[in-house]
Amino acid sequence: MPLETPYSVDEFLITTMARQFSGEVLVSSVTAFGALSARLAKMRYAPDIAVLSTPESGMEVLPMPTLTLGQFLTDAQSGIPLSMEEIFDAIFTDHFRIWINPSQIDQFGNTNITCIGDWHQPKVALVGSRGIPEDTSHLSEIFYYILRHDPRSVVEHVDFRSGAGNGEERDHDLGRHGAPTLLVSDLGVFDFTGPGGRMSIRSLHPGVTVEEVQEKSGFEVYVPEDVPITPEPTEDDILIIRSADPLEVRKWESLSGPEAAERFVQVYERERQLLHATWPQLKR
Amino acid sequence: MTLDDVVSEIRNGDTIAIGGSSLSRKPMALVRALARAGRKDLRLVVDVGGPEVDLLLGTGSVAAVRYAFVGFEVMGLAPHFRRARQKGGVDFEEWTEYTIMAGLDATIKRVPFLPTHTGLATDVLNVNRSFKRFNDPFGGEELVAIPAIRPDVALIHVNYADVQGNGVILGDGHVDVLCAKAAKNTYMSCERIISPEELQRYGRDVQVLRVHTAGVVEVPWGAHPTGCAPEYRADLRHMQDYLISCGKVEDWQAYQDRFIYSDHARYLENQGGVEDLVARLKV
Repeated sequence: MPLETPYSVDEFLITTMARQFSGEVLVSSVTAFGALSARLAKMRYAPDIAVLSTPESGMEVLPMPTLTLGQFLTDAQSGIPLSMEEIFDAIFTDHFRIWINPSQIDQFGNTNITCIGDWHQPKVALVGSRGIPEDTSHLSEIFYYILRHDPRSVVEHVDFRSGAGNGEERDHDLGRHGAPTLLVSDLGVFDFTGPGGRMSIRSLHPGVTVEEVQEKSGFEVYVPEDVPITPEPTEDDILIIRSADPLEVRKWESLSGPEAAERFVQVYERERQLLHATWPQLKR
Repeated sequence: MTLDDVVSEIRNGDTIAIGGSSLSRKPMALVRALARAGRKDLRLVVDVGGPEVDLLLGTGSVAAVRYAFVGFEVMGLAPHFRRARQKGGVDFEEWTEYTIMAGLDATIKRVPFLPTHTGLATDVLNVNRSFKRFNDPFGGEELVAIPAIRPDVALIHVNYADVQGNGVILGDGHVDVLCAKAAKNTYMSCERIISPEELQRYGRDVQVLRVHTAGVVEVPWGAHPTGCAPEYRADLRHMQDYLISCGKVEDWQAYQDRFIYSDHARYLENQGGVEDLVARLKV
């Protein structure tokens, strides 16, 4: 976003993500963006959501953004312990929501976190489908976000479908029910209501043009008649995000490689010190 | 039991289910002991895998891996996993989080498979050779059959255990209980052995029942460098050193000498000692 604004792109995206939650569902907070959006949603937009800590699955927490924070670092993170069975049962019964950050997403909302190139001889082996097949075959809403909208991540066809998008195969195997629902990127909010379930612009962030979206996408994104501007965060939104994330863990999420890992190591120790100071352990 | 006693029960070519999840509560001391003993052609089963799979691939101990995920989370991709996937030579099969659970559960329930919608309309069904589509005999709907996973051995690490093999897990159980129930023999390391009386206090946190365990070994810091909530956090510093060591043959050799081909006591000393670990990682 080229605009000079009193908030940063990450705060804009986190607020936009927080505003998509509704109802009484379990919300996973796997990433810093996911945790902050869930926290903000819980406080301002969707008070009925039950937020999970990560990676230890405590329920009913106000999550803090974190690198690999466990359930027990502070009492505020302890929550109600959940088993994997409970989490998957919540997925199968459609009482679960998650923001997923895929490596690739395509025009039909198929997503990839498995590999670049052919699976049998990948150019780059990523991590494996994890629980995305479960999410996309059972949830009626699936939310995706990417931090840098470019033709390498927003592609015509994903190299591997870890997550099921729209198309004949979904219609045949899973019916019209379900994912994908939204993609939030640094350019705008996109849904999959274009022709044949293709990606369509729902709103563009302030200052972003349709041309820019087309230039930075690996295919022609469908443009509806009405293209509104994504609402900005309020002052309260920004304050909540900043006070919940004083170490700015959210800024590291877009980084990768050894240098980024080194920064993670450093912020990790500061995180522990800070959280111990601000969220002292109660006597159990 | 000792770590070496456990390893002596495991044979080359065994199918081994490993508990924990990504950077959390992996039975790393047991895994290092396996590598140190030179066990080969292991067939690993992991749900959310990470340092344990990568280490065993790096020491050439692995013939096959069934996995939903192998990575180091925020720290990046798993270097030996990535190399092995790209180069070939190891039999990889991509599963998903629930299907690994379902495969173990099928074994527990003594049924050949469990049905699911998971994987439909994804490429997992195209690359996974074990899953089969079938029609629901009642309504005709097309489903996926997840075949039973039958581990010879399960390795898990828990907070506390008694000598009889009851295990206390504080926090997320991950897939440890499924692994423990499905395997022919389950070996459990723990931070501390507790008395049967003390065990009584933990109620529902006693997640692993002794009827499912073949052996217990007390290994403080036995999950390191992964975390063991609420005792200690994952050691990102160590993981960063590990990841860097995987870049060059001589660095990886040095890592193995220092941290794998030395027993657990030496391993802890080579970290800078327990006091340093406590200062950095205690919650």
